[in-house]
Amino acid sequence: MTLPGLEARRRLAAILAALACGVAAPAMADDVPWAERAITEHVDQSALKGTLDRETLLDLIDKGEKLFTAKFTELDGAGRKMATQAIIPTKRKRAPDAAFQRIAGMDANACSSCHSQPVIGGAGDFTVNVFVNEGFTNADFDTVDPQFSNERNTNHLMGAGLVELVAREMSDDLQAIRRDALKKALEAGEPVTAALVSKGVSFGKITAEPDGILDISGIDGVDTDLVIRPFSQKGVMTSLRQFAVNAMNQHHGMQAEERFGARWTGEDDFDEDGHAGELTDGDISALVAWQATLPPPIRVTPQNEAWRNAADAGSATFDAIGCNSCHIRALPLSSLEFADPGPLDAAGTLRDGEIEGAVYDLALTEWAETLERDADGNYLVPLFGDLKRHVMTDRQVAALGNELLAQRFVERNQFQTAELWGIGSTAPYGHRGDFTTLDGVIRAHGGAARPARDAYLDLADTERSALVAFLKTLEIPQ
Amino acid sequence: MTRTLLLSTLLAALFATPLAAQDAPPTLSMDIPVMVEEAAAAGIDHSYTGPWEYFVGGGAAAFDCNGDRLPDLAVAGGTSKASLYVNRSAIRGELAFEEKKDALPDDTRDKVTGLYTLDIDNDGHRDLVMLRVGENIILKGGPDCSFTEANRAFAFDGGRAWSTAFAATFEPHLPFPTLAFGNYVDRSAPGSPWGTCHDNVLLRPQGAGGERPDYSEPNVLTPGYCALSMIFTDWNRSGEPALRVTNDRQYYREGQEQLWRVSPDRPPRPYRRADGWRRVQIWGMGIAEADLNADGYPEYALTSMGDTKLQTLDDEAEADRPVYRDIAFDEGATAHRPYTGDDLKPSTGWHAEFDDFNNDGRLDLFIAKGNVQQMPDFAAFDPDNLLLGNAGGGFSEAGDKAGIALPRRGRGAAVADFNLDGMLDLAVVNREAPMSLFRNAGARTADGSARQTGNWLQIELRQDGINRDAIGATVTVKSGNETRTRKVHVGGGHASGSAGFIHVGTGVAERAQIRVQWPDGEWSAPFRVFANNFVVIERGAAQAQYWYPPE
Repeated sequence: MTLPGLEARRRLAAILAALACGVAAPAMADDVPWAERAITEHVDQSALKGTLDRETLLDLIDKGEKLFTAKFTELDGAGRKMATQAIIPTKRKRAPDAAFQRIAGMDANACSSCHSQPVIGGAGDFTVNVFVNEGFTNADFDTVDPQFSNERNTNHLMGAGLVELVAREMSDDLQAIRRDALKKALEAGEPVTAALVSKGVSFGKITAEPDGILDISGIDGVDTDLVIRPFSQKGVMTSLRQFAVNAMNQHHGMQAEERFGARWTGEDDFDEDGHAGELTDGDISALVAWQATLPPPIRVTPQNEAWRNAADAGSATFDAIGCNSCHIRALPLSSLEFADPGPLDAAGTLRDGEIEGAVYDLALTEWAETLERDADGNYLVPLFGDLKRHVMTDRQVAALGNELLAQRFVERNQFQTAELWGIGSTAPYGHRGDFTTLDGVIRAHGGAARPARDAYLDLADTERSALVAFLKTLEIPQ
Repeated sequence: MTRTLLLSTLLAALFATPLAAQDAPPTLSMDIPVMVEEAAAAGIDHSYTGPWEYFVGGGAAAFDCNGDRLPDLAVAGGTSKASLYVNRSAIRGELAFEEKKDALPDDTRDKVTGLYTLDIDNDGHRDLVMLRVGENIILKGGPDCSFTEANRAFAFDGGRAWSTAFAATFEPHLPFPTLAFGNYVDRSAPGSPWGTCHDNVLLRPQGAGGERPDYSEPNVLTPGYCALSMIFTDWNRSGEPALRVTNDRQYYREGQEQLWRVSPDRPPRPYRRADGWRRVQIWGMGIAEADLNADGYPEYALTSMGDTKLQTLDDEAEADRPVYRDIAFDEGATAHRPYTGDDLKPSTGWHAEFDDFNNDGRLDLFIAKGNVQQMPDFAAFDPDNLLLGNAGGGFSEAGDKAGIALPRRGRGAAVADFNLDGMLDLAVVNREAPMSLFRNAGARTADGSARQTGNWLQIELRQDGINRDAIGATVTVKSGNETRTRKVHVGGGHASGSAGFIHVGTGVAERAQIRVQWPDGEWSAPFRVFANNFVVIERGAAQAQYWYPPE
């Protein structure tokens, strides 16, 4: 069809739609209380510039929460008739029989339908596990068969803004080490090996050659571009923004313009569901702002004295047996200024410099003042993690090696250290939610975690119980 | 507003607007690169000049000649001297070059029509092939952009022809590359120039090897039909590249486009009608090759006067039956007349090159354009084309929006990332006009400024011994369902052959898996890399390495 012909047809469709609106205006209106759509007004990105003041930020957060809890409808563009769940816009070969599908998706009506325990933004039960399949191949076969997917339990998002900020600073550290090694090798005319250490976490080493070649074979637990991708159990998502764009497409068939729009796909309506511009840049920013400002989990003090005592003892044991070698209690963070878009995303997620972005100052949140500071004035982010990937299985202890597929270059048995903050509120445990008890998931730690796990098994019953008592105090605030 | 009035208004809009829309240029959804012309500021003041013999030619070669991986630039001058410019650009900054006046031996710099680069003697330094009006010259590359004439050392007879095309390949079991030279009009033949095209020449290295090649025994490729571009191409995926030659119908009689079988140890033999080869007669000026439809078989853009051709294998083609059909119209790639300005006469196309200028993951097609001299039946204002690849296939013109539509007579060109910012820049040699040097500043925004393009990779292949730069290799870059393919070749374009990083735009993919089919057919293991990096792949290595430009 020629372009003018196509245009004419679109225009005719628009006219007919407009006429239909005229005829049935009350039932189709967006602003009536019973409107069957979740999005009645998109967020205006152009209004989000510079460091947002508290009022503007709170307004954006409110809009983000509405989007996070919205039950999207087909009138919003929910569903992706002709697109798969892939992170790279990919067409289905044919439309699915049903809009909802638990494996290939869309698999949820709202973000909050899974991220709900114990609060919106929290984790999910086994019933809301998701199936991770890249969605690149034949959607009629391998994306609807669970054996071609990895099943994952729903993570909580509390404190996610802090996590991303820590990851940004760590990426910055690692890349500075790389720059320095390359510079020194160039100046010295001989290879320079440098340890990759940020915030006390070792990511292996690199060797820079004088000619600028970098030997990356010694890098450990982080991608070879030295970008810490802190989200998902595998650590494969760079930012809340990237996560939001991915997830909105996968789970709801709500496609963000910044990746699925005409700039990259040549189409305004890539999923061919009759809706263009399903999520604007501003909409994604609102979702990012809401997630980034979620309060971090806390350590509660049990009312029960026995629990309180046990937790204290368990806390000491946690360190004594080496749990804290990966589940680091807190990582320092120098700034609470959350730039959106962020500095590390690649094309397909709105990038720093593509627009005049905004800064969400997390210090404006009510919870910010609860963060402890170190002697240097850094905020201490008590995430109980290291934002590093580790091999979690070995020949004897392999229960966590139950995935069938590598994901985005991360092997089946490697996972990013689970952040334990909030673990007292987020049973079941493990990447698939296979474990109903903390004791169970600790016993499943193999591979790099094997020494700590073996030390746990060597403890007396009361000591193991105390450790669990401690972990149970790491709660999501309600 | 009453419903009747509303209907009337809407219907009026429906039927009135398309007429206006037909006149309006189409809105392009993909990124349009902002190409900033900064040759003078970058220190390049160079024109390709001369009489009739220099109406054709005007080549350039971008390649690193001093080991810093920044592409340096050699430019043909015709009656002006050929020059070599050392790249002094700031990384990710504005372009800067410094002419190295003693780089090319002074007595070789005149009468140069074209330039191609490859490492002929396998010493790790790229050499330079100079096509000339008269004796062709091979310059042996040395350290720090030093070149010495090597015709005698390589037992190479540069001849006396008017040379305008070149290609090279490494044949199995030969210690050095096989070279092909394409010649234009034999000016000394009776009746010249009409029907007096020179034969072309294929040179295989003699002997078992050693430090220096011996090109003392030429194979004459006759008939020659006034070649203006040639390329070794594995058109049928046999692993045995054939020699595709595009010829200028202006001067041949009964000539046509050509494809020569080049089987090891056998004389080259042209495909004929009985083989399925269809006679195509065009003013063939330049060739570009790319696998546009990812079927493993290359398509060919052939520049000409009037329509550019875009050839793809026809359904009737078989393993040794090269039957092609033209899809330029279907793909929006005819580029047959200027796309801007008032001059509606046919275009004259020269250098052609497929590359991804906007890093959206789709190949674009650059075509240098320019009147031969003052041919009245062809456009005088004939801007270069930048045909951007559409998401759904085909191309859309964006040369004017990108900023390359200059009133200059383009000839050869070099496409390279001169400032190593991941975006391809462009050098265009112009006849009787200053060379253009465009810095790709990024994707055009609504206010005319530039922003980041899509993701990209730049890949360097290395192997020991013969053919260090892996000429003839195939590189596949897979992200999701998309596999992007590049061939490493020496030849094609118009009188211009560059070498260096293989650039691949990956669009919104931030990871990719690279595989290499080395020239001998062996496939590498897959290499997992992250986008927006320079990747060095050494044959046999278990892992790719990254390379970082000096900060």
